[in-house]
Amino acid sequence: MELRRVGELLWEAEPGERTDLRVPARVYADAELLEAIRDDDSLVQLQNVATLPGIVDAALAMPDIHAGYGFPVGAVAATELPDGVVSPGGVGYDINCGVRLLALPIAARELGKRKEKLVHEIARRAPAGAGREGGVALRGGQLDAVLRDGPRVLAERHGIGTPEDVAHTESEGRLEGADPREVSERARTRGSTQLGTMGSGNHFVELGRVERVLEPEAAADFGLREGQVTALIHSGSRGLGHQVCTDFVKRMDASLHRYGISLPDRQLSCAPASSPEGRAYLAAMAAAANFAWANRHALAHAVRQAVRTVLGASVAAGTAQVYDVAHNVAKPERHGGRDVLVHRKGATRAFPGQAVFIPGSMGTASWVLVGRPGAMEHSFGTVCHGAGRQLSRTAARKRIGGAELRAQLEAAGITVRCASNKGLAEEAPFAYKSVDRVVEVVERAGLAARVAELRPIGVVKG
Amino acid sequence: MPYGWGEHTGELELWVTASSEAGVFVEALGAMAELLGDEDGEPGVAAARSVAVEGADRARLLVGWLEELAFLAETEGFVPVRAEELQLLPGGLQARVAGFRGAPPHLVKAVTLHRLAFERCAEGWHARVVLDV
Repeated sequence: MELRRVGELLWEAEPGERTDLRVPARVYADAELLEAIRDDDSLVQLQNVATLPGIVDAALAMPDIHAGYGFPVGAVAATELPDGVVSPGGVGYDINCGVRLLALPIAARELGKRKEKLVHEIARRAPAGAGREGGVALRGGQLDAVLRDGPRVLAERHGIGTPEDVAHTESEGRLEGADPREVSERARTRGSTQLGTMGSGNHFVELGRVERVLEPEAAADFGLREGQVTALIHSGSRGLGHQVCTDFVKRMDASLHRYGISLPDRQLSCAPASSPEGRAYLAAMAAAANFAWANRHALAHAVRQAVRTVLGASVAAGTAQVYDVAHNVAKPERHGGRDVLVHRKGATRAFPGQAVFIPGSMGTASWVLVGRPGAMEHSFGTVCHGAGRQLSRTAARKRIGGAELRAQLEAAGITVRCASNKGLAEEAPFAYKSVDRVVEVVERAGLAARVAELRPIGVVKG
Repeated sequence: MPYGWGEHTGELELWVTASSEAGVFVEALGAMAELLGDEDGEPGVAAARSVAVEGADRARLLVGWLEELAFLAETEGFVPVRAEELQLLPGGLQARVAGFRGAPPHLVKAVTLHRLAFERCAEGWHARVVLDV
């Protein structure tokens, strides 16, 4: 695909013979990242996004973009309300998959041999993998309450986490308009035993050390200092969110003709946000998003319990939540004088002054950023969400075995807990692009600034 | 080869070829069995499930079939091994699936419509579906 440079770090995909694009498709990248991006179908998928009814300005991609299904991962699309479309695939199956960062009141050098015990204890208390059991059991109306109000229910009624944690969460862990009645029985069945479980794939809890601080003022605001131990939690809405997406992709696929919508990919199925299907999806998505925030809230509680067991009550009590950000969600926002629905699929909200967390890939750094005004001007207040895959899972497994990778990480001082060697190999660091380069592009583009670099010292993989 | 995996950066693309439409569903179950089987190969207690799925066309029916197998794995730990009595109907299918209760390590979380295909080919029928993993 031909690309035209429209800014120092911004490229536009030429439409070629396509006549169905409503807006341009643009990607933030430097020359090296661009080569990796061109290796898969992600730019074609981004152009497909540019065909959605009601989309404004541009279909945007962050430098961590890679091929997904329907939307590429790392995409941002804003549709004008009230009648622009909402696309469940533009949010993704794992609704409100996101990242939460905890800061421990202890330096990494003080951990000593307790690091291994801490990683082990976190693995014991934060169930990974299939996750059919071991989480917070919800009975009767308790699930409805979580779907409606998110983690504050756990803090206020169940003694899980604190109100301060809720306050340090994007949207305070609660999207308006959540309606549990729009969440199917099948979704409830999948989610009812999964609250407080990590899940499989690329989900994790990573213990890190603040390697260096680049923006001291912002770091102080976030409660971070060099040498400090951190815990980064990556998970989402588990089976419940996947089922909500499944239900509504199916429902909207069946209603496309009613709204005269023609799409280049059925996975982009959508409906006007103001339509019965659109309103029902937004209500169910909000409920699933609230569930996801509650899930990370419960996982953070499990991490604090592990800290209490290994490091003592005062360290647990001093373990503060820096922030929690979503990277798979659609939110009504106002940009450029218009009310729009911003779809972020593998992309993070980055309003000015807001903390943003960009996980690396087990053996590499993760980054704490702070949103800049440029994000509001150029990317609907959005930045990247990670390093971005560059190798398929099969290709990663062909290059290294789980046992060998485990040994390499341990030799680098990273304690690893992962039940599946196969799953570990699929998430090998080389399967991802350079997170340092991705973050550098975002900073040079003026969307966010680097605040602190975190280096992994222990990983519990889903 | 009756089924195989295509390259996809983030997910798994499954393709299936069979001499009949019903064969596509049988082979797709074999692919799911490969994904959902215990990593150490130790089968659990034998079990069986009756499955009934509806779909507006064969492609959507294949999605529904795989979704049902993924749902049983996630909620019951049911690992499919083979389809018994699989019957294709207009707009649906019914089957009895033999398998075992285990601990599926690598769950299929969703079945997408992306690049979904179910079409005739020289060998009979060919299908393609991308799984969210």
